[in-house]
Amino acid sequence: MAKDKKVIGIVCERSVDLTDQLDSNGYLKDNPNVKIVTVPCSGHIQPIMMETALKKGACGTFATGCRMGDCHYREGNKFLRERLLGTRMPKLKPTVDKRRVQAYWLSAVEYEKFKDLIHQFDESLDTLGCPEG
Amino acid sequence: MYTQLIGSLQKNVVLPLEKVANKVFTQSYNPFYYHGALPNFFIWVLFISGLLLFAYYTPTLERAYNTLSYITHELPFGNAIRSMHRYASDGMMIFVMLHMLRVWFTDRYREYRILPWLTGVILLSITFTIGLSGYMMIWDQEAVTLTYITANFLKQFPVIGPSLSSLLLGGELVSDFTLTRLLFLHLGIPLLLMFFLWMHYLRITRPVTDPPLALNLVLLGGLFLFCGVFPVSLGDRPNLQLVSPTLDLSFLYAWPQYLITQGWSTGVVWLLVLGVPVGLLILPYIQKKALRGQFAQVLDSSCTGCSLCYHDCPYEAITMVDRNDPTSRFKRLAIVDPGRCANCGLCVGACAFKAIEIPRRDSQDVLKEIEMALNS
Repeated sequence: MAKDKKVIGIVCERSVDLTDQLDSNGYLKDNPNVKIVTVPCSGHIQPIMMETALKKGACGTFATGCRMGDCHYREGNKFLRERLLGTRMPKLKPTVDKRRVQAYWLSAVEYEKFKDLIHQFDESLDTLGCPEG
Repeated sequence: MYTQLIGSLQKNVVLPLEKVANKVFTQSYNPFYYHGALPNFFIWVLFISGLLLFAYYTPTLERAYNTLSYITHELPFGNAIRSMHRYASDGMMIFVMLHMLRVWFTDRYREYRILPWLTGVILLSITFTIGLSGYMMIWDQEAVTLTYITANFLKQFPVIGPSLSSLLLGGELVSDFTLTRLLFLHLGIPLLLMFFLWMHYLRITRPVTDPPLALNLVLLGGLFLFCGVFPVSLGDRPNLQLVSPTLDLSFLYAWPQYLITQGWSTGVVWLLVLGVPVGLLILPYIQKKALRGQFAQVLDSSCTGCSLCYHDCPYEAITMVDRNDPTSRFKRLAIVDPGRCANCGLCVGACAFKAIEIPRRDSQDVLKEIEMALNS
């Protein structure tokens, strides 16, 4: 099961620092089924990226941004949150299973917390079950 | 090396501090996330308490001290208002400097943020001038001594020194005009403050101008407490022939005068007074631009003119113009101002039509990367 379960994380490069936590293919060392894709700011993330990840067979997808109020580009994380919650255009499709979409707001020095949150998310996906890869 | 120093300061000092603050205040009320708005709280306190003080202040040699004495000793709550005004001025300077240090250490002061930084340095100088003139307006023996030291300090400047001194004093010697000048500095310069504050916010969409109510109340409570425990006092009635033997100068506003009383030479202090702001003004230029010549690119054929990116751009770098193209179905078109663009990609996230991209990270590449990971 674990082999087929894939989680896509789209992370802001200024948010939680993952430079030493990735293997050469961009997977998390502590959680090898999590693929990390880096973007300059969480505001760069289009909801369609997360929708695509789920449509193409990912079990879950998450985004990280800086702490609310501390976005380097001022409002990126706020906008992403509003897009995921459906109050700002372009919105996440309402038909998307919200249990498989997460967003975390963490600063660059909070890897430990990030690890815990990803672990929790991973476990919640296990109980939901994943599509056959 | 400088870039690494700033980077390590952010990682080892600023972010851990904020992590602690997040635990204490929670994310929504973390004062670090309102560093730019907090000085505005003090501006309001200073404005309101200043109005009350202004109602009683008379700027003449004979009566300035009397009015101060009346406010301090007889007017109900007069000394409380005076204390508020005094401590809010200290708070203003402290929070403005913290604001400056934070944007400096988190590398948010150059390139597309150059206008807020440059106007910020000017605002800092203006705040300093207003505060210093306020200390002289008290017009007790210490304030008169401070005025003498300042006038003498101005006089030492080459060539235009004597004119500077007489500009401050309103003549060769201290007279009624001196107090009018001080009142002008204290009430007229704040108009400049408002003007530059406007420029400070000019290129920032939706600036955070007010701290949350809870933080305001905590600050106000702290200020009340401070005024209650340490009410300000008034010195002796001034004798213009004498200088005060003791001088308790606020280092925030009177540091040049403080350094002079510590025996520093006037030349060195002048170098500091001019060098610090000039140094701060050239600071953003010593680092090379990280993404020289890059800015968001609009794909004209895909742009529908929906203005989502225009509304979401946090630096007002995008404007909507008429397309003037009869072959197109759409009337409007987004264009990007290269000088204001931060390459942050917030417009990419806002665009539902794949019509705007930043060169350093194409949204189609992100999608491809996701698909590849899932197909393998």
